[in-house]
Amino acid sequence: MSITIKLFASLREALGESEFQLELGAIPVENEVSSVITVASIKAALSARGSQWHDALNQPNLVHALNHKVVYVDAIVADGDELALFPPMTGG
Amino acid sequence: MTVSLQTEPIDVVAEYAALVGEAPGAAVATFTGYVRNYTGEDPVGALELEHYPEMALSVLEELGQQAAERFGLLRWRIVHRFGVLPVSETIVWVGAMADHRGEAISACECMMDTLKTDAPFWKREQGPSGARWVASCEHDGQRRERWKRSEERT
Repeated sequence: MSITIKLFASLREALGESEFQLELGAIPVENEVSSVITVASIKAALSARGSQWHDALNQPNLVHALNHKVVYVDAIVADGDELALFPPMTGG
Repeated sequence: MTVSLQTEPIDVVAEYAALVGEAPGAAVATFTGYVRNYTGEDPVGALELEHYPEMALSVLEELGQQAAERFGLLRWRIVHRFGVLPVSETIVWVGAMADHRGEAISACECMMDTLKTDAPFWKREQGPSGARWVASCEHDGQRRERWKRSEERT
């Protein structure tokens, strides 16, 4: 049970990683009733890696894309998903 | 129609010809974006464009299809570059063909405004004092919202 995490742009640079696997077994579930893992659970678990991770992942306007779709932090994450985290997009 | 993500410069003449084909509709509108040599008062030497390939492709295809449905396009095309882009080179090209000019022009504007905020590309400018990430612009968000609001009205 794992997901792929991808980081882009200034977030990738700040954290020095662009892609890694994250074991879901180590992530605390949202609560005892729902027992689901959400984007917020993943962010909380990664934020616990240190102040650099905490600050980078809790910056305002951080965008979360689950399987290539932008989602809110309450989106449910499942085995095999791809979760990308990045700053607001500036293409065009 | 189609989307292309590429490192090479956009051949706007070839893109236009391919969009129009042998049987043009009554109205064709295109937009081409180029790398500026300044931002505010700061000179820019080159632009780096980072992207998220799989998502960029799906977002651009979706927004093209949505514009096609909304404006009744006969054909459309979006081309976006990534990598290191020298000043004055092309970044993005969109083209829309419709029966009337209003739909073609609006579709180009809608695709560009949506692409700016929804497609996963990030610009980093290289200048004399090093490289810096381009911050997202509130104005771009407002332009994007404009199309959302008018979608809700129709």
